[in-house]
Amino acid sequence: MASEVNTKFLQDKRLDRIASDILRPVGVDRSFLIWMSSLTMLLFVCLYAYYIQLDKGLIVTGLRDYVSWGMYISNFVFFVATSLVGMLISSVLGMMGYKWVKPIGRIAEIIAVAFSAVAGIVIVSDMGRPERLPFVFMFGRIQSPILWDVTVVTTYMTLSILLYVFTMIPDMAISRGRIGHTPPWLQKTYELLSFNFQHKPEQYKILLKAVRILLILIVPTAFAIHTVTSWLFAVTTRPGWDSTIFGPYFLTGAFVAGSSAVIILMFIVRNNYKLSRYITVEHFDKMGKLLFLVSIVYFYFNLNEYLVPAYKMKTFEARHLIELFTGEFAFMFWSVQLLGLIIPMILLLFKSMRKPAPMFIIAIVVLIASWFKRLLIVVPTMEAPFLPKQNVPDAWMVYHPTIVESAITVGTITLAVMIISVLMKLFPVIPIWEIAEEESAHPDQQPVE
Amino acid sequence: MILKSIFFVLLNFIVAGLFAQTTPWDVPADRSAKLSTTAFTDQNRNTGRNLYQANCKSCHGDPGKNNVIKLVPPPPDPAATQLQQNTDGSLHFKISEGRGAMPSFKNILNSAEIWNIIAFLRTFNKDYQQQLAVKPTFGGEVFDKVELKLTADQTHTTIVAQLTGFKGSLVKPIAGLEVKLFAVRYFGNLMVDKPMDTNAEGKALFSCPKNLPGDASGNVSLVAQLSNEELFGLVKTESTLAIGLPTDRPPLNEPRALWNVVQKTPVWLLISYLASVLVVWGFIVVVLLKLRTISKLGE
Ligand code: HEC
Repeated sequence: MASEVNTKFLQDKRLDRIASDILRPVGVDRSFLIWMSSLTMLLFVCLYAYYIQLDKGLIVTGLRDYVSWGMYISNFVFFVATSLVGMLISSVLGMMGYKWVKPIGRIAEIIAVAFSAVAGIVIVSDMGRPERLPFVFMFGRIQSPILWDVTVVTTYMTLSILLYVFTMIPDMAISRGRIGHTPPWLQKTYELLSFNFQHKPEQYKILLKAVRILLILIVPTAFAIHTVTSWLFAVTTRPGWDSTIFGPYFLTGAFVAGSSAVIILMFIVRNNYKLSRYITVEHFDKMGKLLFLVSIVYFYFNLNEYLVPAYKMKTFEARHLIELFTGEFAFMFWSVQLLGLIIPMILLLFKSMRKPAPMFIIAIVVLIASWFKRLLIVVPTMEAPFLPKQNVPDAWMVYHPTIVESAITVGTITLAVMIISVLMKLFPVIPIWEIAEEESAHPDQQPVE
Repeated sequence: MILKSIFFVLLNFIVAGLFAQTTPWDVPADRSAKLSTTAFTDQNRNTGRNLYQANCKSCHGDPGKNNVIKLVPPPPDPAATQLQQNTDGSLHFKISEGRGAMPSFKNILNSAEIWNIIAFLRTFNKDYQQQLAVKPTFGGEVFDKVELKLTADQTHTTIVAQLTGFKGSLVKPIAGLEVKLFAVRYFGNLMVDKPMDTNAEGKALFSCPKNLPGDASGNVSLVAQLSNEELFGLVKTESTLAIGLPTDRPPLNEPRALWNVVQKTPVWLLISYLASVLVVWGFIVVVLLKLRTISKLGE
């Protein structure tokens, strides 16, 4: 993010073309309505499942005395993880001056907003008595990582929303008079969100300063949010969680999940919104390299996380690892390691695999694998307590997620997809002003489509 | 060879199963003839019901419903003849000692509590008529009531447990019975000195330990108890005497610690948490104010 904006792009004819390209798909059309109503219907089915859980309590889930953190908490970790990519792309890469991230920065922000907002809701789904949520604030202990987690998730969500809104202010102003094809209420919203922006240099100066503060704040907050999430596990002595590298392990895993989520959205934007001029083959190649980079770092942490305890095979650790390597969870474990990490890493080495279509497929597989990876972190440890499991019905010894539970989880994912769809369809998904400024500063550089 | 040994192991199990089921329960004659010294009251029966719910129901089920847990041999339903045909004494013995899957309760429940359970169990037997033990006599006297009382001498070197019997207006010290003295600690009772017999004045004299920690003013909770519960039932007294070393040790939950309540958060943590939250949210407010400035500039 430059510290100054050269406002001459506003007079540049290129701005008209860029704005009309990016604003063309914006608005409420038939396919959007169909898509949203299908999602709404699905959400209602899942809400009915949640109603059952509210009515009957957590007994309708597979959670029992031993496995009290199951799909919900895994899902929570997944959501927090995926949301982290906003920080990686906008802050870290953006502030280091990588210009190619400009068109995809907002996509990353949308993911950050949607996933961090839904993460909070996912936590509530794990509560048998959700009306007691305020108790966390009334009686919470500052010593508890759970309180830290609540604090950082809220902070990260706020920062992500602010960053999303701030970087969109000039676009809202540019869009004035250019979105006649959209419903009046949307035009009103744009008017509101433009905050009287007139492209005055002083306004740009303040805007850039605010964005800069946000970008800097978001880095430690994002580190905190996922490190604290990992501490929810790592501050216990349980095998599989009792690890000093859990913070960085979670963090790097988060970048893998987040990058693949960005790639999926990039593909959809490029193909559905016909924005291949802005999200180019080059971008996919770069994202492919980024995914490879974060994957290899994550692979390195996996190696440490599994190989070191497996070399020592301490009694309880051994029981846990054998369960993962050759036992009940072996199929899931090896599928996740191979499909979610090793095979994608090998494929991404080839340039032909870093093209949009193969990348799209790789990213989907990686994202799904990273969901299951979270399940593998949470459930096997819970199933192996230190004391023998006894005096409970057999069905309580192992964890079997129920349909209600799965439906509620699907509901949270649906909700995230809905938020993403609204933000992508009703607002410009590519920052018009940043692209226009860039193009007017380097008029001779033509993008490779 | 292997088959053969498997066969024998199986046979062993079967025989053991049959054996366990059919062996009669050996109850020593004197224990079987034992009777309660007091008549069962409604209060006994109520206490007994609560004790039963807490300790026995998980295996023996609800009396009369025959919903017992599946074990070999099965625990009998308390309303069934198998259990009711026992004498009071053998019920007392079996509950105290246990056998196989039936746990021994002698270290969990005291004798009086077991009698209360028996009082409750007998409510499921219409034909039951309670027989009482002959009133215990002592030195030719039959006492209505027996009492223990604890005192300490001036110098706190000796603790005195006074055993007294009452009969109408007659008050008499009881000699020659063993008394145990305990100090109440966090996780159970600590025996003080050794069991002592009462002297001719009915006094059991315990020498006071010099190093027994008490509370801030040296108070120690003491419990004295007659060793023989058969004579007069459970005779017990509790008193707090200032015989300990005054110890002003802060309670375990006093210091600031990670595991303590929120008011006792360690200072370093409190500062780090509040400082980070304040700094980040302070900047968020700054950023929001900038939004206002941008908006103002555009008017
Ligand atoms: C862990 C399960 C369990 C618990 C708890 C338990 N019992 Fe039993 N009880 C048994 C079993 C099994 C038997 C049969 C034992 C045998 O015959 O070897 C039994 C036998 C008895 C008998 C002997 C019945 C006879 O055949 O004469 C009595 C009396 C009895 N229990 C009373 C109690 C009482 C009173 C309690 C609670 C203070 C209690 N039990 C708690 C399992 C239990």
